[in-house]
Amino acid sequence: MPVSSLNSQKQKTSLVTLVGPPNSGKSTLYNLLSGSKAKTVNYPGSTIEYSISRFLKHFDVQAALVDSPGIVSLMPDSPEEKLSIDYLFSHPKYGSPDLIVITADASQLSRHLFLVQQVIDTNAKVIVALTMIDLLNKKGYDISVNRLNQLLKCDVIPVNGRNGKGLDNLIDSIKKNLKKKKSKVIYNYKNDYGTKLVDIYKTTEFIENEVLYPIGEGAKQKTADNDLLYDELKIKSDIIKIKPDERTLKLDRLFLNKYWGILIFLLIMASVFTSIFWLAAPLMDIVDLLFTTLSNNVTTLFGETWFSNLLSDGIITGVGSVLIFIPQIMILFLLLGFLEDTGYLARGAMLVDRPLSKIGLNGKSFVPMLSGFACAIPAIMATRTIKNKKERFLTIFIIPLMSCSARLPVYALLLAFLLHGSPFLSGITLALIYLFSITSSLIIAGIINKYQSKIIKVKDSSSFILELPTYRLPNIKNVIRNTITNANHYVKRAGPIIIIFSLVIWFLTYFPNSNPVITNSGDLSKKEVLELKSSERLTNSYASMIGNFIEPVMKPLGMDWRIGVSIITTFAAREVFVSSMAMIFKVTDTEGDLRTSIVDAMKNAKIKDTNKKLFTTSTVIGLIVFFVFALQCISTIAVSKKETGGWRLPILQLVIFTTMAYVLTFITVNGLKLFGVE
Amino acid sequence: MTAADLEFGQKATIRNIDLTHPSSQRILEFGFTPGQEIELLNKTLFNDPISISVRGSLIALRKDDAESIQI
Ligand SMILES: Nc1nc2c(ncn2[C@@H]2O[C@H](COP(=O)(O)OP(=O)(O)O)[C@@H](O)[C@H]2O)c(=O)[nH]1
Ligand SMILES: [Mg+2]
Repeated sequence: MPVSSLNSQKQKTSLVTLVGPPNSGKSTLYNLLSGSKAKTVNYPGSTIEYSISRFLKHFDVQAALVDSPGIVSLMPDSPEEKLSIDYLFSHPKYGSPDLIVITADASQLSRHLFLVQQVIDTNAKVIVALTMIDLLNKKGYDISVNRLNQLLKCDVIPVNGRNGKGLDNLIDSIKKNLKKKKSKVIYNYKNDYGTKLVDIYKTTEFIENEVLYPIGEGAKQKTADNDLLYDELKIKSDIIKIKPDERTLKLDRLFLNKYWGILIFLLIMASVFTSIFWLAAPLMDIVDLLFTTLSNNVTTLFGETWFSNLLSDGIITGVGSVLIFIPQIMILFLLLGFLEDTGYLARGAMLVDRPLSKIGLNGKSFVPMLSGFACAIPAIMATRTIKNKKERFLTIFIIPLMSCSARLPVYALLLAFLLHGSPFLSGITLALIYLFSITSSLIIAGIINKYQSKIIKVKDSSSFILELPTYRLPNIKNVIRNTITNANHYVKRAGPIIIIFSLVIWFLTYFPNSNPVITNSGDLSKKEVLELKSSERLTNSYASMIGNFIEPVMKPLGMDWRIGVSIITTFAAREVFVSSMAMIFKVTDTEGDLRTSIVDAMKNAKIKDTNKKLFTTSTVIGLIVFFVFALQCISTIAVSKKETGGWRLPILQLVIFTTMAYVLTFITVNGLKLFGVE
Repeated sequence: MTAADLEFGQKATIRNIDLTHPSSQRILEFGFTPGQEIELLNKTLFNDPISISVRGSLIALRKDDAESIQI
């Protein structure tokens, strides 16, 4: 759904904004209302950006629906939060909402009514979507929706995010409320929060006591809104005291245990990262087969012409070598999505808070850092949940070191070279690379924290307060949907860049000497002539001319201009490295599959004018080290600038990480050679 | 005494919130208000952060933050 098309109709279309505290079921509701076409980017962790979409057609609501980041209160205590709240009432792109739908978790009513009460006090037109009534019932209580409706003086609609029950009532209420006149919103951030907040809580406590009534422990039966039952049971009950979910308490005794908790945490993290490799292997073979067949067919169809060369070597190989990693990327998102949906991620954050605080980070850095393994861009945006500016900047600083999914294709290629395609060893080695990148990032964070007064230049008090959500079985449909959306984003972002770069590189390597003359004195076979031709073509190509400039930089690393050119192309997107390598090392052998043919070409590549192999164990390990550290992503630099409000941090990141990459690669390659590893 | 001094499984009633503490606004917003009953449920490695139940929810917080909760 293109946002611009919604914007252009802003005047005519009404705007419905979803608001709610974290874990209140807001995103679930957004997905139910907006369908699969939603433009929501719900990365693991939280909704961090405003996103907009239309209501599903069959609801027949003429309005746009906006999802907002979860907030606890309308009283901001940081500039980021102030911005979130300002945008809620008047978004620079989407305007001000005609209607606000607030999700509130019925099983923690007094806490979630806190935000509801604040929003109602602004005089905005409000509907309350009451979620998690099933959980409230499990705790032995039920709720009188009518009474709540009377007390709040706005529509209260029970909905079940798990099965979509109540959605029709919500839609009816939205339609009805949209017909009413828009109200004038008044809100101001006051500083007398001490008494003010306590007063709001006194109100919500009173309401909670009024509307909840016990139905007996573990009662399954659900009364839609049985006022008779309410009157009868209410009289008998005294003060309502909701207890935390029993099962959650039990599980926490294990997951937050001083010793078992840490062990389980490490096991979970390790299995996530190793399974990226071995779960994906069979799926990757399928994608691979598809593209190899395609490439072969093109060659058979068009013969040995420049056009067929462009299609098979340029576009199909280029796109295929990147699309083949979609399974790995999807598995990463799937696993992170599952972890988040079960409620475990918050526990992870709690477990690592103490160690992270030692090096100037925060437990809340955990989820952004973990998302960084998918992509640095949403990860950097997710740091908005970190209140303390120093901790936030430090987290942003090290996020580019997390092994993002764009590096996966690169590592996979290099590991295929090193380990001859054993999925088991590759999985373990990949886990080691991840461990290495995390350790390095923590060390760097520690060092920077020590000298941070020079680099980051902000002071703030540090804190860590986080709600631990109830453990739940993950909502598989939602997790899968988010995974598909994210994979889609990956393809849409990387796809065009890869095609363009494939074309550019194909052009640079094919011209100007597109048809070199080979003097065949008769003793050369047809195949050898073709091989000679392509190597002659490459040696005199534009790419080679550019390469001569960077050759001096690459030489100390034991590498040549061909790798240099491939690395330059990664500044558009890291994964382009694979397609660039594929093309530059001339994957002419269309018999094998994509990965192995690049690997074969790598094995055969020689250093210019010598018989020495270009790719050796040491240079390939060196390349891995290079990719661990180098900041080769223009989008990351742009987001870092936007989120830190200046060029200082992104430029420091670029300079420090890229220099480190070069120096450490130099040390690795030459150090390994010194120890006799070629 | 403050919530940071609670032992494993110990319950207490909040007497007051120290408004001079830098985290006091957050603490109040999360539902720690005077009169509420709280219980310490978990201590992680190094005994920090801790998790406390309030109003039927579980909140993880550092001991530094818990010091604003007077019991
Ligand atoms: N039992 C139950 N779970 C729900 C309901 N609505 C949402 N959930 C689950 O609650 C969790 C948090 O929901 P989410 O939409 O991500 O909350 P958000 O943080 O407000 O966006 C998810 O695991 C949902 O599947 C409901 O009515 N009942
Ligand atoms: Mg959400």
